[in-house]
Amino acid sequence: MPGTRDTDQATRADDGDGLDPREAARLVAQTKREAQRQFNLSPPWIAAVTGAVVLLAYGALWLSTRAQHPYKGPSLGVVALVYAAVAVAIAASVTVYRRATAGVSGPSVRQQQVEGVAILVSFVLGSPVLQGAMKHYAASDAIVYGVIPAAAPLIIVGTTVLGIAASKADWPQFGAALAVVITGVVAAFVGPSGAWLAAGIGLFIGLLGYAAADALRHRRVSPQV
Amino acid sequence: MTADPLDPVIHTPARLRIVATLAALPDGASLSFTRLQDMLELTPGNLITHLRKLEDAGYLTTETTGNGRASRTSIALTRHGRAALDTYTDALRDLLGGL
Repeated sequence: MPGTRDTDQATRADDGDGLDPREAARLVAQTKREAQRQFNLSPPWIAAVTGAVVLLAYGALWLSTRAQHPYKGPSLGVVALVYAAVAVAIAASVTVYRRATAGVSGPSVRQQQVEGVAILVSFVLGSPVLQGAMKHYAASDAIVYGVIPAAAPLIIVGTTVLGIAASKADWPQFGAALAVVITGVVAAFVGPSGAWLAAGIGLFIGLLGYAAADALRHRRVSPQV
Repeated sequence: MTADPLDPVIHTPARLRIVATLAALPDGASLSFTRLQDMLELTPGNLITHLRKLEDAGYLTTETTGNGRASRTSIALTRHGRAALDTYTDALRDLLGGL
């Protein structure tokens, strides 16, 4: 079988007599690193790619609205592009999640699923409910199709993730979520078109920062043993 | 250099990799036999042999659910096993630090 270690080789090494402590240390470090990489639900590359996708999508939203006076909202084509980008990012995350959790069971997996549901609910319900309420009370297009959809998801989803990160003492995730919440607050006060740009840049920086911090954390784990 | 301070149950390449892999899971989580086998690239026979030795030492537990082809074996590191790996890595650090 290709890639399968030979039975005799494993049997010979079974008593460990030939295993040098240096080699053992290298083996432990390498195995831990590889296992952590395979079990990682949000590897740094996916956060970085999502950050880039978000920057492009929000950049397109900003470009399509920056010359509007009065503000009417992004064009349907750009909205479709953004939804497509979000769908791709979600599909990539789900694929990574399935690979990471394949064959893994226990309370931690159930907890991660519940966390995922909480994030999804806050994302799907948060902004549309506020937009609907604002529209109901005859708020302007600048509020309904600009400030709220740009800023509210960041504040609502960011706060949800902030709580989850705090409960797990996951400080890189906590820092990234805090950056996203602050970005949402800033976006709420820079005008309807500027809100898209501020949200895109803030999300990009937050996700890239998270990717860098997570990559550093995994590199720092057991450099020797 | 002597390898005496190193736990002989863990101090073999295959069992070291099994324990280190399971230790990367959160506390209380278990891993299926097939995923563990894929990750370590061991034959089923080898893996079973090593798992039995680790289970006999109390370092891990195995649980099989279902019957026949639908059966699924899950493997989890016990607290004793996690502590044994910690002690082993501490011993390795001491040995290598003394070089």
